[in-house]
Amino acid sequence: MTTDREIKLTLPALPEYVDLVRLTLYGIASKLKFSFEEIEDMKVAVSEACNNAVLHAYGEAGGRLEVTFATEEDELVITVRDYGSSFTVEENKEAPVEQGKAIEDIRSGGLGLYLMQALMDRVDVVQDGGTAVTLAKKRQTTEEAV
Amino acid sequence: MAMDKLTLRAEQADDRAVLHVGGEFDLEVAGQVRAALQPLIEQANRPVAIDLRELTYIDSTGIGILISAAKALHARGIPFGVEQAPSHIRKLFDMTGITPFLIKSESAK
Repeated sequence: MTTDREIKLTLPALPEYVDLVRLTLYGIASKLKFSFEEIEDMKVAVSEACNNAVLHAYGEAGGRLEVTFATEEDELVITVRDYGSSFTVEENKEAPVEQGKAIEDIRSGGLGLYLMQALMDRVDVVQDGGTAVTLAKKRQTTEEAV
Repeated sequence: MAMDKLTLRAEQADDRAVLHVGGEFDLEVAGQVRAALQPLIEQANRPVAIDLRELTYIDSTGIGILISAAKALHARGIPFGVEQAPSHIRKLFDMTGITPFLIKSESAK
């Protein structure tokens, strides 16, 4: 059963704990034989989901972040969950900076969700008494990345 | 672990100022990097470069800070460039479309 092999990390929703999520992810993904590049992609995506929760879910009082790692055959499914107030996750699959744009018109924020969508195979956001972001990536065994 | 999470080293040459940013550049250390960049941006009377050869990780917060620096220096007419970004970090610049604003050699000016 896949649930038997689930790994759950519970940590304070604070910036200094996000690297701990990356370290854990690195350990799990290496064990599953994901490539260096795939692991780097997942590290960025998972950190962005954690950053969102750290920055937007809780107020001064703070709260907890739950990160679950589950494997389904050759797919790693990571869920980042908070129990804070829901925040807006805007749908944006376009590259945030189009070609030919002037430097004055570039925004310096809002890249997080774009990166998650670009780096993972699947991104689902569920808001229900908090926010749960599910990120999934399949291991590429044979073909080289295009 | 003995390794520092973030390393910052400013280098002032006659013709330019270089900030070396190494390790992990993420939300946790955003304030430290912003503080190190501030004097370079404010007193800039020569080109500014950010050297990323020792950078192992960057998140969207870090990328946002690089974009802010590029914008602030552009507004002052001061040349700016990011140098020696490792390939997995360069990939993120390419994906988000910001490479032309950060890396000069590409645009062949």
